[in-house]
Amino acid sequence: MRSILLLAKISWRNLWRNPRGTALTALALGLGLALLLISLGLLDGGHEQTIADGVRFGPGHVVIEAKGYQASSSDELLLPAEVVSKTQEFFQTPKLKNIVRGVSPRLLGTGLLSSSANSSGVRITGVIAQNERAVSLIPQRMVEGTYLTESSPASSVVIGADLAHKLEVKIGSRVVLMTQSLLPSSEAKDSSGNSMQSTLLRVSGIFRTGLEAVDANIINLPLPAAQALLGVKDGQVTQVALLLRQEGESPMVAKALRQQLTGEPVEVLTWRESIPMLAQILGLDHAFNYIMNGVVLAMVGLGILNTILMRVLERRYEFGVCKAVGLMPRQLAVMVVGESLALTAISLTLGLVLGLSVEHYFATAGLDLRWIFKAGLPPALVFDPILYSRLSSNRIGWSVGIVFAMATVISFYPALKAARTELPDSLKVL
Amino acid sequence: MATATEWAVELKDVRKTYRTGPIEVPALRGVSLQIAAGEFTAAAGPSGSGKTTLLNIIGGLDRADKGEVWVAGQNLQLLSSGDLALLRLQRIGFVFQTYNLLPVLTALENAEFTLLLQGMPVHQRRERVEKLFSEIGLAGLEDRRPAELSGGQQQRVAVARAMVTEPALILADEPTANLDSASAIALLDVMEHLNQKTGTTFIFSTHDPQVMERAHRLIRLRDGEVTRDDTRSSRETAVTVNGDAA
Repeated sequence: MRSILLLAKISWRNLWRNPRGTALTALALGLGLALLLISLGLLDGGHEQTIADGVRFGPGHVVIEAKGYQASSSDELLLPAEVVSKTQEFFQTPKLKNIVRGVSPRLLGTGLLSSSANSSGVRITGVIAQNERAVSLIPQRMVEGTYLTESSPASSVVIGADLAHKLEVKIGSRVVLMTQSLLPSSEAKDSSGNSMQSTLLRVSGIFRTGLEAVDANIINLPLPAAQALLGVKDGQVTQVALLLRQEGESPMVAKALRQQLTGEPVEVLTWRESIPMLAQILGLDHAFNYIMNGVVLAMVGLGILNTILMRVLERRYEFGVCKAVGLMPRQLAVMVVGESLALTAISLTLGLVLGLSVEHYFATAGLDLRWIFKAGLPPALVFDPILYSRLSSNRIGWSVGIVFAMATVISFYPALKAARTELPDSLKVL
Repeated sequence: MATATEWAVELKDVRKTYRTGPIEVPALRGVSLQIAAGEFTAAAGPSGSGKTTLLNIIGGLDRADKGEVWVAGQNLQLLSSGDLALLRLQRIGFVFQTYNLLPVLTALENAEFTLLLQGMPVHQRRERVEKLFSEIGLAGLEDRRPAELSGGQQQRVAVARAMVTEPALILADEPTANLDSASAIALLDVMEHLNQKTGTTFIFSTHDPQVMERAHRLIRLRDGEVTRDDTRSSRETAVTVNGDAA
């Protein structure tokens, strides 16, 4: 124990024999960690934002659909009304109430929307206005008029800006929606034997999300109106979309719902399963970022290896003396590793202070990317152009652990070199 | 004839050759000698005569190619590297030509370095080092780093480091080579004093006639062989006889 303390003392003092070199090395490693923290914070923040926006323009963090819907996308596959009520009751329990931000039943279908000027195929989404406000981003992206409310007339419709432009309509304009019943034709035919229906609607709001696929295709109707138009009976819907407070709770909520709905002809999917392409894109981005961070760390690591190795080679004579007076090879190795660990500890402190300060700035003020898009945001840009950093304590711990482990492993080679100092060659006066 | 264990150091037909590629340089060519406990011995000779190699082999820093090397009753040729390190830590003290103090430690910390490695408690260490320091004129310099000491002071700290564990044998490779003559004499005074007081065996190499004169026994080496082995009294007698003859 005493000898360990002595070795620690020697290691610490050795660090300060060349303060400038030590400071530069510590700064290099510290910058490596700071870069890692900043890039991970922006990456996670960006992903969190992309997921948040992606799920809110899509089916939510967790979605309940009729069995087979995900694979076939057949609008005829509907959820029974009791599944909707069962789900809503389930989320009234105090434990889950705090996890879930919104539950929105939706009826999906297709139709042809026509104005006096033009017509366009549309994706109909029948919603309960109050529920949809808690789940979807569309109500927040209104550019004209207002989103649907509880008191909106059944003939109200909210459409995207691109669609409004194509149909040359504005707030208050009348449009005709032609639909086909979702039910089997034998059940859906009216007295005249026709399964097609058309109705007159009035544009009450126009939204712009920036996503062309949404702005040119999606229309929102009150759910009862959509059910009537699509010939759906008994309160059936296509899906129930859930928005959670934390994305990370998705698997747990999905699992709990699967248990709750055991025996029902439904499938419960997390966003990773319902929007697999988004999950793949984020996975790819993660992988790319890990590679880039790996390259940065490898470069910093080589710098540290060089510094420690030079320090060891410069002190070959000194190690020879230590060995001559009775220091064991393993004690010499401990001394070098101790020196490297002390250097790493200083670097990590520097890196944490620097990295977390910058990360905090990006987390509060955000990284404004609008300067990149001076000519205007590209239509495919889903997320807010101001990127906010998000860094969990897990990420910080993981990053510090990686850098610490790297520096420790790197110090083994110089330590081995020191331990293998040859006597009496190392004692020769040059 | 004395058995090996009765001598502080005994070498039997020790040979050592250094090889650099195809070139072979014989450093010791069958050296045999016995050194009794408490002797104050100098190994003298010109550069390349084998003095340093002899000390390295006696100190277990290097191994002989052939022959037997007995130190403190142990045949060094049969010891592992770890056992040799332990022997050096516990039984042998070293003083090197260029002081070789650890620059990051103070004089006191350098001197107690080996005691710390032996695991001695702090109060015992301090007591022993401070006593030794006052004995060899280093009192008051305990907290200075090597860079703040003169060459002579640094070498005395090195002697203190070698002596502090109370080893059976101290090996000093040209300890006065980097000192001015006053410092060299002061250092020899310290070494001789410690030798007489503690009975520790001293073997040091030198090519300085002034240092040779102080040795109680002088072993002369040339080209890796012992050419003469005299005690001080025999040298003095020889001088007297030669003087009379003159």
